[in-house]
Formats: sequence, C-alpha cells, structure tokens
Amino acid sequence: MSAPLLEVRDLHVWFDLPQGRVHALRGLDVTVGAGEGLGLVGESGCGKTTAILAMMGLLPPSATVAGQVLLNGENILAKGEASVRRHRWTDLAMVFQGAMNAFSPVATVGAQIAEPMRLHRVAEGKQATARVRELLELVGIHPDKASRYPHEFSGGMRQRAAIAMALACEPKVLLADEPTTALDVIVQAQVLDLLDRLRTELGLAVVLVTHDLPVVGRVCGRAAVMYAGRVAENADIGDLHLRPGHPYSRALFSGGAIPGAPPRLDEEWPGCAFAPRCEHARDRCHTEAPRLVPLGARQSSACHLAASIAGGTA
Amino acid sequence: MNRGGYLVRRLASALATVAAAAVINFVLFRAAPGDAATQYQMCRTCSAEFRDYLRAELGLDRPLLEQFWLYVSALLRGDLGHSFQTRRPVWDELAGPLANTLPMVGLGLAFGLALGLVIGVVAAWRRGTAADWAPLSASMFLSVLPIQWIGLMLLLLFGGMLPTGGISDPYLRFSDPSWWQVLGDRLEHLALPSLAIGLAWCGSWALIARSALVGALGEDYILTARAKGLTSWRIVRRYALPNSLLPITTLIFLTFGYIVAGSLLVETVFSYPGIGLALYQAVQNRDYAVLQGGFLLLTAAIVVANLLADLLYLKLDPRIRT
Ligand SMILES: Nc1ncnc2c1ncn2[C@@H]1O[C@H](COP(=O)(O)OP(=O)(O)O)[C@@H](O)[C@H]1O
Ligand SMILES: [Mg+2]
Repeated sequence: MSAPLLEVRDLHVWFDLPQGRVHALRGLDVTVGAGEGLGLVGESGCGKTTAILAMMGLLPPSATVAGQVLLNGENILAKGEASVRRHRWTDLAMVFQGAMNAFSPVATVGAQIAEPMRLHRVAEGKQATARVRELLELVGIHPDKASRYPHEFSGGMRQRAAIAMALACEPKVLLADEPTTALDVIVQAQVLDLLDRLRTELGLAVVLVTHDLPVVGRVCGRAAVMYAGRVAENADIGDLHLRPGHPYSRALFSGGAIPGAPPRLDEEWPGCAFAPRCEHARDRCHTEAPRLVPLGARQSSACHLAASIAGGTA
Repeated sequence: MNRGGYLVRRLASALATVAAAAVINFVLFRAAPGDAATQYQMCRTCSAEFRDYLRAELGLDRPLLEQFWLYVSALLRGDLGHSFQTRRPVWDELAGPLANTLPMVGLGLAFGLALGLVIGVVAAWRRGTAADWAPLSASMFLSVLPIQWIGLMLLLLFGGMLPTGGISDPYLRFSDPSWWQVLGDRLEHLALPSLAIGLAWCGSWALIARSALVGALGEDYILTARAKGLTSWRIVRRYALPNSLLPITTLIFLTFGYIVAGSLLVETVFSYPGIGLALYQAVQNRDYAVLQGGFLLLTAAIVVANLLADLLYLKLDPRIRT
C-alpha cells in the first residue's frame, strides 16, 4: 500500500439541534494513498456525507468537530477556516451529492471552472482558458462548450463538467459524494470510468461515497464500511465480498435485507452499534464497544467476533 | 424559450393589461351612482335644463355602446378627454404633475434601494449576528411607520436646511440662474420627499434582498463555491447576489408602481405638485375626466414598470436569453 496521503483520525462530529445533540460521526478512521480509490459505503444516514464535508471543513456552524484530518501528515483542521481554505480545491476537491446543481445558473460553465484557478493562482487569463478547454476535453465535453451556461448542458454533462471543475487546481484528493445517483445507467458508467481513469492516469486519490455497492468496485480497490458514524470494516473489495470480517458488511454485501433499523444518533450506548440487529451478538457486544483491529495485512474490523466471522465459523 | 418570442409575449400582455384597465375604467365610472352631470360640484344648484345641456355636451346622453366607442376611439388617438373643471385637455392637466412625480419617485427608489440592498446583503452575509438583525430591525421599524409621519419628522429635522414644500424656488428665476443652479434647486426640493419614500421602503427591500440572498445561499452551487476556497463575501457577491437579483428586481419594480400610485401622502406633506395631489384635487372637484385619465396613466405607469422588469430579466437571466 502506498503511504497515506490523506488520513482521518478519530473524527467526531456533533450537530447541535433545537431537539438536542446528534452525534453523527463517532470516531471515524480512514486512510487513502495517492492513486488509490477508497469507497465509503453504508446505509443512508450513517454519516458518509458528514465525513466528506468535515474533511474539507465545510460543515454548517451548528456542527462541532473533533479529531484530525491529516494531509501529508499536516492536520488541516487545526487552524480554522482561513487555513483550511488554502487546501480547498488545491489539495482536496470534491464532487457533491447533487453535483448537477454545482454550477450557478447565471455564469458560464467555463468561467466557473476557471474561477478557482485564478483564486489559487494556478493559472490566469489565456492560460486559464486553455486549461478549461483541456479539462473539458478530458471529461469528454467539447471545449467550445466552455462559453455555455449550465442549463444548456444535460444532467450527465453537468456531472462531468463538475468533475472537470474539481480538477481545475490539480488536487491530490478527489472526494466524490454519490456522484452517479441521479444519472441513468449509461451515463453512470461513463462517469465511473472517468473517475477510474483519473485515478490511474493522474495518480489522484479518490474517495467515493455511495450506498450502491456495485459502483464501488468500478473505481475503488478498497472500501470502508460505515455504520452509525464509525468504520465497521475496512478491507479490499474482494475480501468484503468473499470473507467479510463484520456481520454488517456480510449482510450488506450479500445483498439481503437487514432486519431492524440503525440506531438513533442522538443517543449514546455502551456496546457495539450493530449489536441490536446482529444475529451473532453476545452479552459482551451489548456492553463493550469493539475497536477497529487488524484482521490481516489489508483488512480490519470492529467486531468482537471478527476472526470467526471472517473464517466462516460464525 | 427564444428571446424575440419572450419580448413579443411580454409586450402583448402589457398592452392587454392596459386595454383591460381602460375598459374597467369606463365601466366603473358608468356604474357609479349618478353621473358627471349630477355630481358635478358647480352644478349642485343648477336647473334640470342645464344638467341636460351638460349631459349632451359630455356625451352622456348617447347609448352606452356609442359612448364606449367614442371613448375608445378618443383613447386610440391619445385623447383623454377634457377636464370638467378647467376645460383643458386631461393630458395637459396630468402631464405636468406626472413629470414632477416620476423624478421624485425615481430618486426615492434609488435612495431606498441603496439603503435596503446594503442592509439586506450585509444581513444575509452575516446572518445570525448583530450585523444581521440590528440594521434590519431598524429599517423594518421605519417601514411600519406611516410615510406621512416620516415626512413630518423629516420636516422637523431638516426644516431649516432644505426646502419643505413645492417643486422649485419661485424667486430663483429673477436672478437669471445658470442651468446648474436650476438643477440644484430642483434636487433640493426633491430631497425630503424622496428621502421619506426611501426611508419608508428600505425596510421592505432589505427584507426582500435578505430572504432572496439567504434562499440563494442554500443552493448546491454555494457549497461548491465554498469548497473551491472562496471567502464568504465573495460567495455573496459572485454567487448569491447575481442569483437573487431576479426575485429582487421583480419585487422592486412591482413596488415602483405602488409608490407612484401612492405618492399622494408624501406629496400632501411636502405640498409637492405631483400626480397624487392632482388626483386628490380631481376627487374634490368631482372631475371625472381627470380621474379617469389619471387612473389610466397610473395603470400604464405600473405596466411600463413591469415591462422594464421583464427587459431587465433578459439581461440578468441567461435561461431566458438563449
Ligand atoms: N446539517 C445537519 N444538521 C443536523 N444533522 C445532520 C446534518 N447533516 C447530517 N445530519 C445528521 O447526521 C447523520 C448522518 O447524515 P449524513 O452524513 O448525511 O449521512 P449519509 O450521507 O451517510 O446518508 C444523520 O443522522 C443526519 O440526520
Ligand atoms: Mg449522503
């Protein structure tokens, strides 16, 4: 595995709401290296979007964040808004959930792609224009379309243009939050192929958030399975399919329905978050929270019974 | 949607609105109890013969359909009829006051907009802080006060410094003034009424601007803009403001019509000879012809304001432009 370019350590996020405090991220740990693809998978509401936004310091004021987001060893969240802003788009860029609306309707697509280049002094004037054309070509859009407005683009084109925009300042990490959910199957395949190509050709680290498991394998070698604001299991995609080390990943990747519902995040509990839904749960699972421990060189699981689950004996 | 089609449709609907207003105008004045001859103020004691004579002269003795035809064909020729009071063409009676009111309202609009937009933009940018609620509540407080009260307070405050009534200094012309002096004199007379309009309206505009901006700030492209590393002020200026100009423009142009139509109160406080005062006098004199013409002019003013808003849309919204 290449050295971690981006490392998230013990990330916690609380949202303060009038009804109370929601503990949305509860000690998230993930790493991703240059040229790697990491899938972030899990049921809706498990904190995937929150994790992505926290990594860029983009959570709303109602959120409290604790923990570290290390980029080449430097904690980018340590010094507040002004310092994290320097890393936005130059180091970490993102394609959002609903990136179809990532463009302001009243400015041309080209101008909006070029804007961060000027802002971060990556390119200016003619150079920026040329780079916009290059980027559009890279994502399979005719360069002359740079002078068009977003409403003149189809949904899939807008999504690809949003990816082109994310590449404007040659970021090291691309965070993509469900970039294909709103697209039809053919366009979805195009976008995923594009992400995979960018990862291999540009050495981009890609963090791909999705609840659609087949999507993960097309871009990512590894995935972190998230449950209730934490990583339940972290492993190669193949292992997640063949020898998952956590009952939740096993249920998720076998495709069957999981009975019950995820826990409410405005409550705290002593044991494993999955225990109430887990057929293997013992007494210990209800009283002691399992930590994420290695299960092999490339696999780790937060389950007291990880070894027997992975070995198929439980 | 194409640009030409958009323009043609807007123009057609503007014309249709004015036409409908003209018809309603005709019907309303005929549906009111009595007619010009019975209500005519100077005719309160006059004989039945004289009333018949008046009716004949005003054309009120003809069948309704014929009256309507006469009214419409006169309108099409640009003839609004003659004032019952002065016998002068209605257009001549109203053109002067209207020409006085428009610059006053225009200046008031500019003033209120400048103030309201600044307050609204800052409030949206710094929402949740004192810079949000303090200026906003102050301007809202102003806008719930009656405009004539604001006018009176301005009179008290600036009475010694600025002219408090009329439209120009009647003695100025004896001193052979330069063009600049005349303009300065006009502006001085415009200052207080315009200020009153601006203060009375800036609160609503601040609120409109704030809510439009806060709405735009919740859009997906704002999150992208933040992710790109833009500062919050730049996001307000480059993203939120251009995107909220559409609703802001519409509402502002709509209020423009309101202000023209409601200019009476300000004009009364400052004895400003505008359209409001002229119509008020026409009501006092039961001068139906002037009233009818005045209402039509006001309708036209509102329709023209809306048409201007539509034209501005073309400039502001690329989705219509192409
Ligand atoms: N802005 C917010 N304010 C309050 N709660 C939030 C906010 N964003 C997310 N949450 C809560 O955090 C949890 C995780 O949400 P999210 O990160 O959107 O999940 P996912 O992307 O995995 O579907 C949910 O319980 C959600 O209700
Ligand atoms: Mg999400």
